[in-house]
Amino acid sequence: MNRGPAPIERDETRLAWLLVAPALGIILLVALAPIAVTGWESLHVHDLRLPWLGTPFIGAGNFVEAAGDPRFGAALLHTVAFALISVPLELVLGLALAVMMHSVVRGRAFIRVSALLPWAIPTVVAALLWRFMFEARTGILAGWFQALGLVGPAFDWFVHPLAAWVPIIAADVWKTTPFVAILLLAGLETIDPALGEAAQVDGAKPARAFLTITLPLLTPALVVAAAFRMLDALRLFDLAYVITGGGPGTATEPLSLYAFIALMQRLRFGYGSALSVTVFLLTFVFALVWVRALGRSLTGDRS
Amino acid sequence: MRGVLTLGLVVAAGYALACGPRDTTTRLTFSGSALGPEGDVVRRQLARFAERRPGVRVELQVTPDSADQRHQLYVQWLNARAQAPDILQLDVIWMSEFAAAGWILPLDAFKPGVEDFLPAALAAARWKGALYGIPWFVDVGLLYWRTDLLDRAPRSLVELREMALRLREANATRFGMVWTGARYEGLVTVFLEHLAAFGGGILDPSGRVIVDDPAAIRALDFMANAVNVDRVVPPAALTWQEEQVRFAFQNGDAVFMRNWPYAWTLLQDESRSRVARRVAVAPFPAGEGGRPAAALGGAQLAINARSANPALAFELVSFLTAPEQMVERARLAAQLPPRRSLYETAELAAALPIPLDQVRQVLEAAVPRPATPVYSELSEILQVRIHRALTGQQLPAAALQDAAREMRALLARAGLSPEGPAQ
Repeated sequence: MNRGPAPIERDETRLAWLLVAPALGIILLVALAPIAVTGWESLHVHDLRLPWLGTPFIGAGNFVEAAGDPRFGAALLHTVAFALISVPLELVLGLALAVMMHSVVRGRAFIRVSALLPWAIPTVVAALLWRFMFEARTGILAGWFQALGLVGPAFDWFVHPLAAWVPIIAADVWKTTPFVAILLLAGLETIDPALGEAAQVDGAKPARAFLTITLPLLTPALVVAAAFRMLDALRLFDLAYVITGGGPGTATEPLSLYAFIALMQRLRFGYGSALSVTVFLLTFVFALVWVRALGRSLTGDRS
Repeated sequence: MRGVLTLGLVVAAGYALACGPRDTTTRLTFSGSALGPEGDVVRRQLARFAERRPGVRVELQVTPDSADQRHQLYVQWLNARAQAPDILQLDVIWMSEFAAAGWILPLDAFKPGVEDFLPAALAAARWKGALYGIPWFVDVGLLYWRTDLLDRAPRSLVELREMALRLREANATRFGMVWTGARYEGLVTVFLEHLAAFGGGILDPSGRVIVDDPAAIRALDFMANAVNVDRVVPPAALTWQEEQVRFAFQNGDAVFMRNWPYAWTLLQDESRSRVARRVAVAPFPAGEGGRPAAALGGAQLAINARSANPALAFELVSFLTAPEQMVERARLAAQLPPRRSLYETAELAAALPIPLDQVRQVLEAAVPRPATPVYSELSEILQVRIHRALTGQQLPAAALQDAAREMRALLARAGLSPEGPAQ
């Protein structure tokens, strides 16, 4: 009894819990309950098209099936490769855009707003635009590539298993580079301009000043931007769904799209839930590792 | 989550219906396509039925026109044991699935007279010997050909290839042949016709997977060659569905087109079509060891197993599938009736835009898709593998071997393997 906190403190703690309880309840209901239900579902056979199988509990059976499913392996590979290609592109281009916007003196607001436009366009609309631009015979970009002699006259971007990725990656880079740029611009604004002036006085060339002063100080913003983009890219769904539908064959099918097909087309709720859980785990593990490895080192450096 | 929500709503609606105030009228619910001319015909005919049967109120429950969405909705309703709709318009490829799940009633107890119906359409309505639906209208794959470029339809697959190659090389058309090559159900129907032309199949009558047999491999080889070697089929066709295929043919870009009857009327519209009055139809010709083929589609009417008024529901089904209603449907919606005797009548000849003798020839070649409760999944496996083969990601033989392996695993999981324990 004596080792516990004083009665008043205990009352306050209780009051605090009471006050927080509604918010906690809502978080549990809205965020955790669906994940828990999906997780529970993923441990069962639940196939709307095969009602005679019932809904028996099969433990990790669905996950074992996924491990042996070549389409799942390919989808996992597609998802990770997409993230590893598109995110670095977005970071490099976003950085260049941020530096340009930072150095502009006149018309700042206008330039910033117009740079953000692609980010404001709904993804499905952006996806359709890019799809049309690459369509054989009618697409503008497809026509340019043909006129430049880079592809043959009968070439169809959506029939080639690797070329079909080009519109998807292009759309993603086009759409999310402004978002990265704005995050990095905010980072640039926090850097004391005196540092740059001092470097100039000491005779450092602009490239040197950028590499040794700006970039290191911008790292926290870069880490955050990369985390946001990776988490988004690992959940890739809408661009692939609209632009290629996952084809040709399943050459551009990411995990989320495969999970959607298993759930909504095949109506295999158990297996589809297991696939959804793997998408969740993939992003969750990435976030955990990223925050631990980079986030901690960054805060450590600062203090 | 959306599914769960819909389920909840449907269950709630079901209770509301069951516990609502009773009146003397009996209510029947019919659900199916209700867009455009199809909707006009249905509304007209349902009203006529209600006139004949005082005290019966028939409601039309509109469902999405997209087949996938309608299927998903039906599955959710029936899983939730909803009593309505009483009568369902089912695609031919869903029949076995709904029958095996126990969602629709076997109709043999009502002693339906079905001698007149096309055998292929009836085969699609049967599951384990019992009849679960009455064919309502049929759709068949047609080989459209240009009468200004050719004197007659090709009699064999070899001839079809030669004609397409010759005319394309003479620059008479941009492409030789166009078909629906996108990764979807339409691709499977094209493959099915090639399969039949080479004497192959997807499942044998006992339900065994035979899609990796030599005949099937020859069929897929033929398709892949047409795209990648002969180049009579443009690679872009591997992203096309019915409408893109029709546009290409309508612009005069192809000698042959494989499409459904709906395209006929549109092709004859001189303000939009460059091939008006220069088109005829035929069945897809036979290759070595096979027969002429036309993939069979269309709709059947079935009765919800939980319907409160099955006898009355069957009465409505009989009414809608009577010759008189079918001719009206042919006239207003250009949909083909599944009753063979109608094809001998002047009434149907006057009602249908496509010349009757050409249609009759195609209907005789009709091939159903496999009757299995897991057809949609089988088809999806095939779609992916065929598309991989046609886009050069896999050789046809390897693609079909993989498809067959995946299909056998699916049948085993579903408890439907002919070798394994019976379901």
